Amino acid sequence: MKIDIKHIAKLSRLKVDDSEIEKFEKDMENIVSMIENLSDLEDTGSLLDKDNSMVLREDVAQNNFKRDELMQNAPQTKAGCVVVPKVVE
Amino acid sequence: MKEYEIVVGLEVHAELNTNSKIYCSCNNEFGLEVNTQCCPICMGMPGTLPTLNEKVVEKAVKMGHALNCSINRICKQDRKNYFYPDLPKAYQISQFDVPLCENGYVDVLVDGEEKRIGVTRIHIEEDAGKLLHSNNFDGSLVDFNRCGVPLIEIVSEPDIRSSSEAKAYLDAIRAILQYLDISDCKMQEGSIRCDVNVSIMEKGTNKFGTRVEMKNVNSFSAVVRAIEYEANRQIEVLNNGGEITQETRRWDDAQGKNILLRSKEDAHDYRYFPEPDLLTIVLEEDYVSELKSQITELPNKKIVRFVRDFGLSQIDAITIVDSIEKCKLFEDTVSENKCSPKSIANWILGDISKFMNDSKLQISETKLTSQKLAELIELIESGKISNAAGKKVFDILLNEDKSAMEIVKEKGLMQISDENELEKIVNEVMSNNEKSITDYKNGKTNALGFLTGQCMKATKGQGNPAKLKELILKYIDEH
Amino acid sequence: MELFRYTATEISDMLKNKECSSVEVTKSVLDRIDEVEDKVGSFVTVTKELALEKAREVDEKIAKGESLSNLAGIPIAIKDNICTKGVKTTCSSKMLENFVPPYNATVIEKLNNCDYVPVGKLNMDEFAMGSSTETSYFKKTKNPHNLDCVPGGSSGGSASSVSAGETMLSLGSDTGGSIRLPASYCGVVGLKPTYSSVSRYGLIAFASSLDQIGPIGRSVSDVAMLYSAICGRDNLDATSAIREYPDFRANLNTDIKGKVIGLPKEYFGKGVSDNVKEAVLNLSKELEKQGAILKEISLPSTDYALNAYYIISSAEASSNLARFDGVKYGYRASDYNGLVDMYEKTRSEGFGDEVKRRILLGTFVLSSGYYDAYYKKAKLLQQKISAEFNDAFDACDVILTPTAPDVAFKIGENTNDPLKMYASDICTTTVNIAGLPALSIPCGYDNNLPIGAQLIGRKFGEQTLLNTAFAYESLVGGFNKIPDIK
Repeated sequence: MKIDIKHIAKLSRLKVDDSEIEKFEKDMENIVSMIENLSDLEDTGSLLDKDNSMVLREDVAQNNFKRDELMQNAPQTKAGCVVVPKVVE
Repeated sequence: MKEYEIVVGLEVHAELNTNSKIYCSCNNEFGLEVNTQCCPICMGMPGTLPTLNEKVVEKAVKMGHALNCSINRICKQDRKNYFYPDLPKAYQISQFDVPLCENGYVDVLVDGEEKRIGVTRIHIEEDAGKLLHSNNFDGSLVDFNRCGVPLIEIVSEPDIRSSSEAKAYLDAIRAILQYLDISDCKMQEGSIRCDVNVSIMEKGTNKFGTRVEMKNVNSFSAVVRAIEYEANRQIEVLNNGGEITQETRRWDDAQGKNILLRSKEDAHDYRYFPEPDLLTIVLEEDYVSELKSQITELPNKKIVRFVRDFGLSQIDAITIVDSIEKCKLFEDTVSENKCSPKSIANWILGDISKFMNDSKLQISETKLTSQKLAELIELIESGKISNAAGKKVFDILLNEDKSAMEIVKEKGLMQISDENELEKIVNEVMSNNEKSITDYKNGKTNALGFLTGQCMKATKGQGNPAKLKELILKYIDEH
Repeated sequence: MELFRYTATEISDMLKNKECSSVEVTKSVLDRIDEVEDKVGSFVTVTKELALEKAREVDEKIAKGESLSNLAGIPIAIKDNICTKGVKTTCSSKMLENFVPPYNATVIEKLNNCDYVPVGKLNMDEFAMGSSTETSYFKKTKNPHNLDCVPGGSSGGSASSVSAGETMLSLGSDTGGSIRLPASYCGVVGLKPTYSSVSRYGLIAFASSLDQIGPIGRSVSDVAMLYSAICGRDNLDATSAIREYPDFRANLNTDIKGKVIGLPKEYFGKGVSDNVKEAVLNLSKELEKQGAILKEISLPSTDYALNAYYIISSAEASSNLARFDGVKYGYRASDYNGLVDMYEKTRSEGFGDEVKRRILLGTFVLSSGYYDAYYKKAKLLQQKISAEFNDAFDACDVILTPTAPDVAFKIGENTNDPLKMYASDICTTTVNIAGLPALSIPCGYDNNLPIGAQLIGRKFGEQTLLNTAFAYESLVGGFNKIPDIK
């Protein structure tokens, strides 16, 4: 099976150099062929696990963090915000 | 030339008015200083985990009931993966193949006709943050306050056939959201937003054309403009021998047109998969039916009923229903069974609305009650007080703990409608104004006004003017 | 004997009896770090000052006669993917080289409440992806038993530090064997708890549905003590189970009479070295002598488990690691042209090859048109594997297997062959797929390198595992043997 590494890399926001493509392709194909060795399983529709239910959180608001603490790890900040390259859309 | 029909499907995103966010305990409040309503969880910091707010589920299920959906008591959440700076985890927690609610409908009134629009599904998800731009700065700023604000997405079937149907549908959805206290629906705060899918099909066929999705349609009036623009654009393309391609376009309301955002080839591959940090949502049957029982008659139903049973015009019915306060006052006053619903509607849409606008007060903040209003209108309708007197009484009712009747008596506003009593007065006044009667008979019609004025004066302004006029004419006739 | 050589259980009792102070223990451990860390390389960060400060506090509390937890004053080191407020948490990645969390993981809050002494943050495979700790961006950790060999991974530092006496106890995390494999390679005891028993809040996710934090120590009692401290429901982790847990250390006993020990034939087949097989089977015979009943069983889907594991873990990882985009925290490339370029350069420069490989694989299996063939199939397989284990536990109390097919390999030996590297996880991944608890204990040596045996239990059956291990530990006179580092 042929995997379009360039497309997958684009989806993953990873740059794969041309020199690396072959290596990644080979690695991936090996892994995928290992995976393809899956037994035939009955498709039971949606992956819903009704026996594994969850307790929901009460709707109570509390704010425990200061902006400075939350921003301290940001690579670039300005006016209390993180800065990213200009986006249009 | 071929004739085309517009086919529209709408995706409405409404922010829920919960106390806390959907997946963390941060305050869910609009308009506060940038990045002050967030925490490691909604900022997507490594190692943090989501916990689902129970009120979000409750409100979504209520909306599901309101839109006649079936509720999936067992459902899950999924990750929608894409990179964007306002999405800190680089995935949005949403629902993919098993939404909380599906297969519903809503009945709306379009030009007096009832129309049923299908609701495909309602699911819960989190909002993204906001990007801020400035011309004098080469970059964009990210404010994460809105990250994790709870949303429901309401997806309609492609049942909408015109921009006015779209408007009616959106108005109905908004009214229901407000009625059930699910969302504040503040358009200017972006708490309700809309994606519009438009296609066109040849009249008389049932073959849908290729649909185009429009983003950035930020107000309901813009929806109308955007649909019309896009439908015309598509018709033009077809008439010029072109083809419609599946794409996403961006609506620019200021320019009144849309532009291509991305084509089908560039469509996102969101790589949905079940959110492993959250387990299955399992709702007890009792819980779901309890929420259903809490839902009373909804605004769209009320509009239909007001038009049908009370003879209100569609616009009056919509205007009354649009305000929870006015609607409650209207219905309570009607249920007093003292006066005609039409008069009640006129009062509410006239003096009462004017008062609310001018004073910026709600009815509940005044001393006016439905009993008082019913009594007041009854007094007017029965001719016991004049319209002018009614307005005076109304002003006092707003501020004092008195009934309409008490005020009428206190101020002596009672109108004399008793024919015998009025006839005595008329006879007396007329006998003192023989000249005016002669003038009138000689064609000086304004003499009638003078005579009426004299009679009114004699009743100290309390005579029923219509009755007085009738008696005066009778007197002239007989003499 | 130097204090660092004792077990945590022994030190806990000595502290209570005032036979030593926490500062003395902490200094002994810190001295040991000074002595051997250059050779072993267990730590990314040593928090010497913090440790001493905390130790002094505990000694004051002891002096005042305050009632304290079993773990009070005990030096514990933490895998560097568990968030520690104010202390760098790197995941051994360039991406998070300078990341200082403004919050603690729930397990850290719990340990703080126990007055533990924080020794530092431990080296690991980058983002816990690996079986040898060779994918760390910072350094290669060595196996204390043979410095030419890997310590196993991904919690390599967690195992090597305990093995070398650089800490009394450590926390690791286990997604496909990441606690058990290094515990096995380094000759220590490592527990991968039942999925959902330990809060994952603050554990930097690799694969959310498989990750679990667990303890590593030099005795079964040590591991039981630390596990008791970290397990329990956490309202910040929606997947955490709502239930009560016993005091695992207090409940330890060596009575395994009548316990049925299942030996699944699939785990003793080809690929497993003869010496490993022999050591594990010897262990089973010892248990039999103590009254346990041995029973051969079969888990036929085992062969597929590794496949299911790689699909599920990579898929979840591709999504979990998408947040590292240079926007809010972590590394950002210095030269870029626009947003997409910033994303791509940041992620390509910030992640190592193994991480990229898994992100690419995970993205692929989730991408349009492949979801049903891979991810969904793997999830269905997961259900099948769980059902098989359930059936097996109808007939036995504990399942015994080797932890790894072989002893620790040489550094660099498998780095160019991902599949060969992945094969070392063959015995451990099934357990994560099924969400079960499993314990790795030492059971002999091959060429002076430790061999590990894996005990697998029912969901929430940790006590049975610990008791079985405790019985064997008592027979062999304890597991606590710190090797000479040379």
